[in-house]
Amino acid sequence: MKPARALRFLALLVIVAAMAYPLAWMLALSLRTPDGTSLRFYRDVWQAGPFDRYFLNSVVVTGAVLAGNIVVCAMAGYAFARHRIRGGRVLFFLVISTIMLPKQVILVPMYILMQKLGLIDTYWALTVPFIADPFNIFLIRQYLASIPPDCEEAARLEGAGEMTILFRVVMPMIKPALAVVAIHTCLTNWNSFLFPFILTDSTSMRTLPVGVALLAQGAHSIDWGHLMAGAVISALPVIVAFMIFQRRIIGGLTSGMTR
Amino acid sequence: MSAGRSLAAARAGLPPQAVLLLPWALVYAAFFVFPFVFSFVLGFMQYNPLNVGASRFVGLEQFARLAGDRDFLQALRNTLLFVAGTVPVTTVAALALALLMRAPMPGKDLFKAALFLPSILSMVVVALLFKLFYAPGGALNAALAHLGVGMHGWLTDPRTALPAIMAMDVWAAVGYYAIIFYAAFTAIPRDLYEAAELDGAGAWASLRHVTLPLIRPTLAFVLVINTIRSFQVFVEVFVMTQGGPLGATNTLVLHLYETAFRRLDYGYASVIAYTVFVLSGVFSVIAIRRLRPQVGPEGAR
Repeated sequence: MKPARALRFLALLVIVAAMAYPLAWMLALSLRTPDGTSLRFYRDVWQAGPFDRYFLNSVVVTGAVLAGNIVVCAMAGYAFARHRIRGGRVLFFLVISTIMLPKQVILVPMYILMQKLGLIDTYWALTVPFIADPFNIFLIRQYLASIPPDCEEAARLEGAGEMTILFRVVMPMIKPALAVVAIHTCLTNWNSFLFPFILTDSTSMRTLPVGVALLAQGAHSIDWGHLMAGAVISALPVIVAFMIFQRRIIGGLTSGMTR
Repeated sequence: MSAGRSLAAARAGLPPQAVLLLPWALVYAAFFVFPFVFSFVLGFMQYNPLNVGASRFVGLEQFARLAGDRDFLQALRNTLLFVAGTVPVTTVAALALALLMRAPMPGKDLFKAALFLPSILSMVVVALLFKLFYAPGGALNAALAHLGVGMHGWLTDPRTALPAIMAMDVWAAVGYYAIIFYAAFTAIPRDLYEAAELDGAGAWASLRHVTLPLIRPTLAFVLVINTIRSFQVFVEVFVMTQGGPLGATNTLVLHLYETAFRRLDYGYASVIAYTVFVLSGVFSVIAIRRLRPQVGPEGAR
């Protein structure tokens, strides 16, 4: 190997180590129990944490928000891409504007609204406000605009209704865009902290990130073993999904950023 | 819920585009437009959450409080420091990593994966890892002890707490932007470099005159979105320091959270929210303009 190449390789190794080291450390601490290497901390937090409940909540919330986004954003994206809408450009501009706004602006009013609706501490509060992510509408609209409307028009000529066209003709065509929607939506909601934290107040309604953060605050001195076990439980699904779909996830989250 | 309702609307004879937009419009109006407007109204109120009838309008009184609120001024200063400190470092480091990746090498996919992974982990988990890393008995102090440097409470010393959190943020974000830059690099035609080489340009000259000008739009976009994101820094400090020691890591969104949910001072909290909105608003406008050309009739990329 030429020296320059060897040096570069060394630099890469150091960087990979620096990125992986904290994660390896997390895993090691979660397994190192007073009675040797065991899953005891996992068993403890799963039963008493109660991380079984947090895990269930995260799965339910992420799944429901994903399903909602697929339907709601496909409908809206299809309308913006293919239909004549009075004031459509202004409306779509509003959609784009919301992508870039700091969501904290609506934190307090959202809390008051959910309280008045009696929805604090329910799955409704954790899902419904998030089923129309403007980024997803933008993605689907842009993807549709890049393919010709031939198939839809053929279906329309055969007398298919708009809903049939959307679900039978358009949805299969925009699968790559829907995959990006799924990646973006699942990651965002699985990892979300601030809104789920504010909109719930009982242990049984907390999601994984909220549960982990509260475990870190609870005790006077931090019990790192249990805490890291909780952190691994919340991070593991993401890491496993990343190992399987690495190329798609990296591609999906960075596509459209380079122009 | 919305699909069923829109089908009902379809039967009621609404045009198809209205039916298609209805679920989005309902969610958007109820959970974005209304809270957004309400938040603005709240800023002019002394809102009483326990007895809404006792709430009253106080004009600009809440806004006037900002100037005399030392916690707010400290949070503002910390947030600006955080943005000014992390965004340029992350960007330059990401560019350097992307350049390093451009050369052929074994195990490039593994390298990309290792770089990217922190950016898809929950910030709660990342913050916990680094809380431990910086702890008195943590890995950083252990490593420094080998070098003969004494123990330091990185997160308990007001001078090092904010920089320590900033360093963590760079670690967590750099890979994501490096991959974006790398993608932008691969879109540059090879022959441009060959032409530059024929003109006698070295590695530095071709970086300055070919690479950087051509990825300028990506560079601008990355700077803007990272700036907007950084103004919202919250989870990091909430998990690691709760804003301490002595407010050294208090940020605008943490101050907003404390004001609203610990002191139940909703009116004033809304005013703090609006400072975050205005600060990042400038950058939002730039970002929206970047997206807008694609909204026209020739929307397709």
